[in-house]
Amino acid sequence: MPSTALITGTSRGLGLALAERLLADGWTVHGFARGPKTLVHPRFRSHAVDVTDEAAVRIAIAAIAAEGRIDLLVNNAGTASLNSVLLTPGEVAATLMRVNYLGAFHCLQAAGKVMVRQRSGLVINLTTVAVPLVLEGEAAYVASKAAVEALTKVAAAELAPQGVRILAAGFGPVDTALTRAVPRGKLAEINERIGRPQGTTIPQAVDFLVALIGDASVPSGSVRYLASL
Amino acid sequence: MLTREQSLALVLRRLALLGKELGKPALEQADEQTRLFGEAAALDSIGLVTLIADLEEDIRVATGKTVFLADEKAMSRLTSPFRRTGLLAEYVVELVNR
Repeated sequence: MPSTALITGTSRGLGLALAERLLADGWTVHGFARGPKTLVHPRFRSHAVDVTDEAAVRIAIAAIAAEGRIDLLVNNAGTASLNSVLLTPGEVAATLMRVNYLGAFHCLQAAGKVMVRQRSGLVINLTTVAVPLVLEGEAAYVASKAAVEALTKVAAAELAPQGVRILAAGFGPVDTALTRAVPRGKLAEINERIGRPQGTTIPQAVDFLVALIGDASVPSGSVRYLASL
Repeated sequence: MLTREQSLALVLRRLALLGKELGKPALEQADEQTRLFGEAAALDSIGLVTLIADLEEDIRVATGKTVFLADEKAMSRLTSPFRRTGLLAEYVVELVNR
């Protein structure tokens, strides 16, 4: 049966690569992005949606649902900031929570309702190995992703009776625009700590996500990392 | 334009379908006084969430309008629209005809 996915943050990086992979695998893909449309495919629908805008998220997801199912939501849109906890401006911390946590929350809530109606669906929230590593210099970012992990676990318990599964997937530094500002020495140190001295490429991250999507035996509420921790 | 009777019919029909699905035959006999939420309610919290999600789609199909039943306005009312089926039907009318 053909499946439909919604991925947030599809204008570039991991979101774009995952969209391309799912399209190649036969999925219909809806993409949320603030930036310009970068993917053209007969089964790709681009939506100019800022995930921090709750009303816009609700309206866009209602429009998608009016056309059919949403089998998969990948909450990929995110932002990062590195700074000492004592030097991080409050507005930066608020932005991280708005984009990383509230953005995922809005999308999960709206798509979750659609999935409850279907009595099936899978949500994957992207997190980071920085949470279990308790990485210094990333307090605000780690806190926002820890919130995403907590959301994953509670939502999984709440929606399990209606057949909706919620997972979180985390990576070390993936070579995307998000990590290019991070000093090389810091990236190497993190990659060593997670047992991936060569780092993680976008194709490797996509393979990991596709494997998770296809593995119904992964218990809902699980947080899985592409790392040796 | 959605009338109270039409709205109540949507709510009761959806409750009956939920009753079949959840194995709760009492829901198939619901009327406008049936308690949905709170003490001695017909639904548990999971059932209420399912009802709301399903009913939003029923309303869209019946009226062409997308409404969000469980918003902050609904939650902050002194009398919750989710307390009884009749109140919920009236709240649906209010949202659709706004």
